[in-house]
Amino acid sequence: MYPQILFQNRHPDRVATLDEYRQSGGYKALTDVLKNFAYMDVRQTIVDANLLGRGGAAFPTGMKLMSVAEDAPFPRYIVCNADEMEPGTFKDHVLIHADPHMIIEGMIIAGFGTLAEHGIIFIRPEYERAAGILEREIVVAKEANYLGKNILGSDYSLDIVVHRSAGRYICGEVTAQINALMGKRPNPQQPPPYPTTKGLWGQPTVLSNVETLACLPHIIRNGEQWFKDLALTEAGAGTKIFAVSGKVNRPGCYELPMGVRLSEIIEEHAGGMIAGSEYKACLPGGASTGFLPPEHYDVEMDFQPLRDIGNRLGTGAIMVFDHKTCLVGAALNLIQFFARESCGWCTPCREGLPYIRDLLVRIENGEGEEEYIPMLERMCKHLWSAYCAFAPGAVGPVESLLKHFKGEIREHVSQKQCPFK
Amino acid sequence: MELFDCGFGIADCGIINLMIAEFSFFQSEIRNPKLVNGPTMPKLVIDDREIEVASGTKVIEAAEQLGIMIPRFCYHPALGSVGACRVCAVKFLQGPFKGVQMSCMIEAQDGMVVSTTDEEAVDFRKHVIEWLMLNHPHDCPVCDEGGHCLLQDMTISGGHGTRRFAGNKRTYTDQYLGPLVQHEMNRCIHCYRCSRYYQEYTGYLDLGVMRSANRTYFGRFKDGILESPFSGNLSDICPTGVYTDKPSRFFGRRWDYQRCPTVCINCSLGCHTVISFRYREARRQEARFSEAINGYFICDRGRYGHFYTSLESRPRSALINGRQVAIDEAVQAVHKKLTQIRQDAGSLAVAAVGSSRSSLETLFMLKHLCRVNDWGDPVFFMNQGITAKVQTAVTRLEPELAVSLREVEKADFILVLGADPINEAPMLVLAMRQAQRKGAAIVVLDPRPVSLPLEFIHLPAALDELSVLTANLMKGAVDRTAAASLGERAAESYDAAPDGDWVDETWRELISGVTHDLQNSLQPVIVCGTDIVPHQIPGLAADVALLLRAAQKRAGLFYLLPGANAFGSGLISDREGSFLQIIEGIENGDIKALILAECDPWREFEDRKRLEGALEKLELLIVMDYLNSEAVQKAHIFLPTATLYEADGLFINQEGLVQIAAQAYEGGQPIVQSAGGDHPARIYGAGIPEAEARPAWRMLAQLADKNIEHTNDRAWLADVLPEFASLPSMEDIPDDGVRLQSAANADLRFKGDYASPFDKTKLQDDHLEVILVDWTFGTEELSAYSSCLWELEPEPCATMHTSDAESLDLSDGNRVVIETENGSLEVNLRVAENMASGILLVPRHRRLDWQVMGAGRVRISKNSIRKVG
Repeated sequence: MYPQILFQNRHPDRVATLDEYRQSGGYKALTDVLKNFAYMDVRQTIVDANLLGRGGAAFPTGMKLMSVAEDAPFPRYIVCNADEMEPGTFKDHVLIHADPHMIIEGMIIAGFGTLAEHGIIFIRPEYERAAGILEREIVVAKEANYLGKNILGSDYSLDIVVHRSAGRYICGEVTAQINALMGKRPNPQQPPPYPTTKGLWGQPTVLSNVETLACLPHIIRNGEQWFKDLALTEAGAGTKIFAVSGKVNRPGCYELPMGVRLSEIIEEHAGGMIAGSEYKACLPGGASTGFLPPEHYDVEMDFQPLRDIGNRLGTGAIMVFDHKTCLVGAALNLIQFFARESCGWCTPCREGLPYIRDLLVRIENGEGEEEYIPMLERMCKHLWSAYCAFAPGAVGPVESLLKHFKGEIREHVSQKQCPFK
Repeated sequence: MELFDCGFGIADCGIINLMIAEFSFFQSEIRNPKLVNGPTMPKLVIDDREIEVASGTKVIEAAEQLGIMIPRFCYHPALGSVGACRVCAVKFLQGPFKGVQMSCMIEAQDGMVVSTTDEEAVDFRKHVIEWLMLNHPHDCPVCDEGGHCLLQDMTISGGHGTRRFAGNKRTYTDQYLGPLVQHEMNRCIHCYRCSRYYQEYTGYLDLGVMRSANRTYFGRFKDGILESPFSGNLSDICPTGVYTDKPSRFFGRRWDYQRCPTVCINCSLGCHTVISFRYREARRQEARFSEAINGYFICDRGRYGHFYTSLESRPRSALINGRQVAIDEAVQAVHKKLTQIRQDAGSLAVAAVGSSRSSLETLFMLKHLCRVNDWGDPVFFMNQGITAKVQTAVTRLEPELAVSLREVEKADFILVLGADPINEAPMLVLAMRQAQRKGAAIVVLDPRPVSLPLEFIHLPAALDELSVLTANLMKGAVDRTAAASLGERAAESYDAAPDGDWVDETWRELISGVTHDLQNSLQPVIVCGTDIVPHQIPGLAADVALLLRAAQKRAGLFYLLPGANAFGSGLISDREGSFLQIIEGIENGDIKALILAECDPWREFEDRKRLEGALEKLELLIVMDYLNSEAVQKAHIFLPTATLYEADGLFINQEGLVQIAAQAYEGGQPIVQSAGGDHPARIYGAGIPEAEARPAWRMLAQLADKNIEHTNDRAWLADVLPEFASLPSMEDIPDDGVRLQSAANADLRFKGDYASPFDKTKLQDDHLEVILVDWTFGTEELSAYSSCLWELEPEPCATMHTSDAESLDLSDGNRVVIETENGSLEVNLRVAENMASGILLVPRHRRLDWQVMGAGRVRISKNSIRKVG
């Protein structure tokens, strides 16, 4: 059994209380930070811990905090991104239901790291229960003076509100989320300016994922070296929550060291493939990553190793497909989602994705033509020139389908039907 | 599956025609390259050609300067770059960026090597076009945009012809957007120009983006008339046919029209436009780029205010006592009768009235005619007191103070003094809004309930408070030393300016905040109205601008004048003369003949009862006009005149720019058919259609026995006003006009004419001062003839302050009767909080008989207003 850090207070049937969180060492980091840290030291510690963002983009969190200039204007904002809409991903949901104060403490520490005065948790509307839990525990934290004016007697003040999204996938994108919070259309905004310079209402804004923020108290309490040592890979750091779904015996959320092998996750932690199923592929990090073929079954689940084989760790949501699953159908299912969720701002994404969907529908229905394959390849390539990262992510599954499973597409075309039906 | 994505009949679509149109659109940019600022100019290579551009220039703009037109949809010079359409992709080969990137999103930098023809970039752009055409209907043959459609152009030039996509097309529901703009959402390619223009640029919110992904919709929440008075520009900026010009719908292709650059005469700004004639009918007007004035856009009053030209009811034949005669016969009859009257009753028995909607030629020739006959000087304004204010503006607009409309956009503080921009000169609002978007503070000192699509501070001060507040504001921002640097008179005037104690306590706090903004500004602009303000305000505005310059600010002055050629009229008006004097002259029998040159006192004069009484006594009423006005009906002799589109003419806008409105079309000529077809003329008659009307000034010249050989000869203008000797010849007047330098007179500075301290207690509580005001739609004379604008007019109403309404036990929406000495006016009442009390605002509305109000500053007893119904 690996050490459980983020899930240390996880109970199958209830949410950890403030007392339970405190007994496990909760809010010690905050007390320490407010007493003994200059806010710049907080940033440095996080930089040294090599914490990479857990929301999918793997941006170094310490660098993000560092990019809020010392003389940046006030007020500054800290936003917790709980808009978990990546298909297959449910780690933040589990985390909020397990230990909400860990997230709150993480937010306060990150807030202190940039001297933010206002905190916002942006949560997807389907997570109404989680939103309720957070709102309830924010009040509890406030009563204990972890939030509000002069936290724990220090000069630092922060309030946190929970904001329910109107609900669109694109709202998970940093700049789109900022627009959504300001009541604008959630169109992404190409930097510069970066949100840490000009974010919400033109003020410096740091936006981080739930799981990322939850790591912060532990880094402060145990030190950067401890955090780095948690990972199995040399360059990695920390643990990672893997949300496993698909044709496995025990789908669910597992906190495992960064760099654990995919084979180990599937076979040991998720209980192996269900009877009669053979591993065919998986999406290693949510719907916007590529199908991982059997030859990479043993890959180390960390950012760099996946990048090395042309894939991404993404959110760490592993969707496992077996040999009886049609991957054209799977890719079509995902493209259908992305075509619907495009914000509609730029042409490649708005019109290109429905085009790709149309081609896949035809292939899946046995109406495909051989020429569709090069068309798909070129279009997927061109979608990398879209406005934001949504479109390149959206074609991730299709691109990997073309790369690793072209034979399966050809079978659809030549047999004029889906070979799995 | 051989479908063609640009619709059949490509050859018919006038691709070449539209290429030229689009290219000239960008040429205006090329002609006016951004300011060159020395060593920071980056040098880059585009398609193997090197170019040096100003820093901050986008690659797409740099390419334009080389004459390379990179495709674009979302990019627009006025709206900037947003990177939405992705069709301007080029390949960056060297420099800080690599690979396929959007040329609109990247600023030119040293060492960049860019290829627009790279295979990968071309293939990407081709895909973008294909994607855009997935849902675009094949309705080019019946689409009004066909022939000047950017999408059509790009589809052809991008090489996309064969439709590969086998899926269905998307279908949207179209909306009713009012009488000016036709909505056809299926054609939309989602470039976001419309929503960005409408919401960000003009500040109106009723049209925008809804829904997401490929269901994204541009329109209103519900069907309805667009609220922005700048909505017609949607037809210009939409790169395809989603928004098309409704009044000219299905009337002609771009190349069918006789198109000609002209200027707008529906207010004093003189915006640049293009007028389009077909079958002897002016049917469409579009914005024309102007660096100095309107930029890329115009307002709806201007765009649609031209329909008087082609009205069926336009008087087209000369009449003597209602009998149709040949025009030369009528001119000779006028000549003869006027000579007779002059012989019988002396030279002062003839009076002439013109108006500021006439060309400079007509104004000057009228003056010349009066002069050679020793008649009294012509009068150009019918409202009492206006002439003096216009002349003050003309003589106080010193060249270094004058700013153009586009320069207003660069201001960091704008003081609007006694002006209601959206109602008096709508395009000024767009300029102010751009200034505000860049951070300018905007302060409006005006008693009316001014409403603007931008954030501003409104001090609804009474008319008599304006000078005190302005002077106080100036004193807070300029110190005495600075004032004294302009000389003794400036110092004296500074000392005489009222200080804080004079300011009513209602305003003190607001004024001090505003003073702070003015103090910190570097480039303030004073916008000064001349319509409702007391006589000393235009001069005071100029003094304040001078003092601000003395305080090291690049201060500018921007007057609004009553009429397109009010500046020209002001140049040659007799300061003492007035229409009221003429009326008096007729009443006492001194004046026996009246010439009305392109003006209509039935509409303009505030006392109709008196006007009609006087005219009963008149022996001879000569009317020259192109409008079917009341005056035309009453004329003894009527001479039809040409509109500005039918003759070359000069107009001087409010900042003193002499501009040429070129002849677009000449009446009596055969119908021009540049395309095939043999469509019949629309009006049948025995004579040559439209052949009668002549430029008013040509007929006036005949009456003055002045022989002008060439239609292009303007040397004679200097006979009327010597300053015009320096005016270049007609052919040499540049597109952006020539600024008239010599009208200003520095001797008029610092007269120290401030009103006395404002004393509210002196206000007669039982009286209201009547102020006649303009509205965006419904009060301007020419646009009032455009039936498509009638729907946009709000119901005409009189407006008073809440406290006044309460004292009369009236409320918003009441129907009231206002009794005056001259009659009564029944009108709806509007009650507003954001205006001065003690006044009653009455619009000079075409649907209101406001001419019972009487001339001059009129006060009416509150008792004369009562509720009806």
